[in-house]
Order: sequence, then structure tokens, then C-alpha cells
Amino acid sequence: MGKLLSIAGLLATSAVGLAIAAEDAAEAESGGLPQLDVSTYPSQIFWLILSFAVLYYLLTRKGLPRVSEILEARQDRIAADLDRAARLRQEAEETLRRYQAMIEEAQARARTLLHAAQERIAGDFAARQAALEQELNEKIREAERRIATAREKALGEIDEVAAELVQAAVQRLASLKITKKDARAAVGRVAGE
Amino acid sequence: MADPLKQFQIEPYVPILVGNADLSFTNSSLWMVVSAGAVYGLVMLGTRHHAMVPGRLQSVVELAYEFVADLVRENAGKEAMRYFPAVFTLFTFILMGNSLGVIPGIFTFTSHIIVTFTLAMGVFLGVTALGFWLHGWRFLSFFVPPGAPKLMIPVLVPIEILSYCFRPISLSIRLFVNMMAGHTMLKVFAGFIIALGIFGVAPLAVNVALTIFEIGVAFLQAYIFTVLTCIYLHDAIHMH
Repeated sequence: MGKLLSIAGLLATSAVGLAIAAEDAAEAESGGLPQLDVSTYPSQIFWLILSFAVLYYLLTRKGLPRVSEILEARQDRIAADLDRAARLRQEAEETLRRYQAMIEEAQARARTLLHAAQERIAGDFAARQAALEQELNEKIREAERRIATAREKALGEIDEVAAELVQAAVQRLASLKITKKDARAAVGRVAGE
Repeated sequence: MADPLKQFQIEPYVPILVGNADLSFTNSSLWMVVSAGAVYGLVMLGTRHHAMVPGRLQSVVELAYEFVADLVRENAGKEAMRYFPAVFTLFTFILMGNSLGVIPGIFTFTSHIIVTFTLAMGVFLGVTALGFWLHGWRFLSFFVPPGAPKLMIPVLVPIEILSYCFRPISLSIRLFVNMMAGHTMLKVFAGFIIALGIFGVAPLAVNVALTIFEIGVAFLQAYIFTVLTCIYLHDAIHMH
């Protein structure tokens, strides 16, 4: 309701306003439109050209160069910053590449060292095993030789003992004295059979 | 009720007579000088810090600069940037005059046909002289529409010349009429506010809306004047 009223009021005032304005316009026309008063033209033209020319001169000489200077400085600064960022990035990438190369090299060296160590250990082990085997073999051979000598010696002594036994047995049993030589020959004969 | 056209009256403040010519310093002169001073003052004040990161006022100045520069580049081409200072002066001067005029009690010098016509004539003569200076007599071929049948040329060329010569008239009348009509409307409605008593709220509301509208018009008309100037510049430099 209030809204309607206000709209109605607005329309009414507009209508009245237009009517009065028309009247006023008619009234003003009798005095002439101020814009058409030719006597004011020289002054308006003169002051327009003067203020425009002075403004143009000042802006061209001082104002606009200052603005463009600021804008250019900012442009340069941004370009320089971008340049520097690109350079830093390149440097960082370079460093990363160098670092990776270093790591790879270190790994390779570690691998060769490990390999060498393994080989040395394996070589050592084989050498020691060989030495041990040889020693053992020697000891075995030594033992065998000793056994062989002992056996030979024992075998030789058996003949001797047998001969003495035969000599003693013969004396005891037959009361016969046989020479050691004969007894040995007899043992040898029996042993040879 | 006050005469709504009284606001356009030229009031001499300091009478100056040079020979026969009356060059008095008037209310119109005052606001021309103030507008020019305000534009220059704003530019200088805004850029006084040379800040890499602009403050509020410097942003406004930079914005205006870029705005007009883009206008010239887009409508008149890169070569026209030589005339950027003139276009910038034109735009800011008209914009300041229009905008200050929206403030009640301030005389709007752009509401006078002689002012807008002088500006438009300046643009017209400058652009035409530039056309002849750049292209010599070949600039006359601008008035022959490309691809027109030979038979039609005697008809078309006078039309082209006529429409070319109407440029300053349409340019000046558009600005002057817009400013004058807006201010007359404001005054007409303002006249009712007291007269209608409590119902004066209605014309007051209309005036508030009109004032906002006028701020838009103030900018738009300065913009249109500048864009057309750029287009004329383009014609003079590139011919079509």
C-alpha cells in the first residue's frame, strides 16, 4: 500500500514537474538559452584553450612521463625477477644433476670395493684351504710312511724272533744246537710256503 | 520555482577585455581551470612515491593511464600512441569537468555547446591535418569508399565528405546535450523537493537515482568522446 502510494506520488510529481518545466523552459526561452548567448563564446573558448593547453603541456612534460616511468620500472622489475627465478631454477637443476651423478659414482665405487673385498676373501679362503689340505696330506703321508716302516721293522723282527723261537724250541725239544742262520732259513722256508 | 536553465548562466567573476573581445574570467573558466588543476594534481600526487607496489591513488592514476593507452592502442593502433598524451588530456579533462559538474553548485562547463564544439573542432582539425600530413593528397581517396561502382562515385563522395564534416557537430552535440539534459532534469526535480513538503521525498528519491545515473553518464560521455577521437585518429593514420 505504502509502495503504491509512493509510486502514485512519484507519478503525480513527475507530471506536475514536467508541466512546470515546460512553463519554465518557455520562460527561459524569452531570456534565451544561456548556451546560445554568443557574447560568452570568446571567454569560454579562450579559457578552454588555455586550461587545456596548460594541462596538455604539464601532462606531457611531467605527469605522463612519471606514470610511464613507474609502469616501465615495474615491468622491468617483473621481467628481471622472472629472469632470476629461471636462472635459480636452472642452477638448482644443475645441482640436482651433479648430486645425482655423485651418488651414482659413490654407489659404483662401493660396488667395486665390495666386489674386490669378496674376491679377496674368497681367494684367502681358497689359499688357506689348499694349504690346510696340503698339510693334512703331508701328515697323512708321514703317518703312512711311519706305519710302513714300523710294519717292515716289525716284520723283520718277527723273522728274527721266530728264528730265536725256533732255536730255543729246537734246543728245548730236541736239545739240538742249531745255528741262527739255519733257524732263520727254516723260518724263511716255512714263511715262504 | 527556480529556472532549471539558470544553472547554465555564465557569471563573470573577473572582467577581462582584450580589444573588443570579452575574455572575462567566469564561473565556467573557474571550473575549467580547477578541472585541469585537479587532473594534473591527481597525477602528480598519485605518482609522488614512485611506488613499486601502488597505493590507492597511484592505482587510480595507473588505471586511468592504462585505460586510455588501451583505448588508443585498440581503436587507433600502435602508431597512434604518439598522440596518447593528447588523448589522455582530452579524456581526463572532459571526465573531470563532467564529474565535478555532478556535485551540486559546481558549474558544468561541458554543458555548453561552444566548449564541446571547440574541443570537437580541435580533434577534427588536428586529425584532418594529420591525415594530410601523413598521406598528402592521397588522403582525399579516403572519401572514395573502397569497392564502390565507378558510376556511384560522384554521388558517394559528396555524401562521404558531408558525413566527415558532420563529425565535429555530432561529437560536440552528443556531449553537450547529454550534460545539459541531465543537469536540467536534476534541477527540475530538485525544484519540487521543497515545494511538495512531505511528498518532496519522492522527487528527492528521483534525484538520488538521477545523480547516480549522471555519474555514469559523466564517465560514459567522456569515454565516447575519447573513443570516437581514437577512431578518427585511426582513419587519419590508416585510412579505412
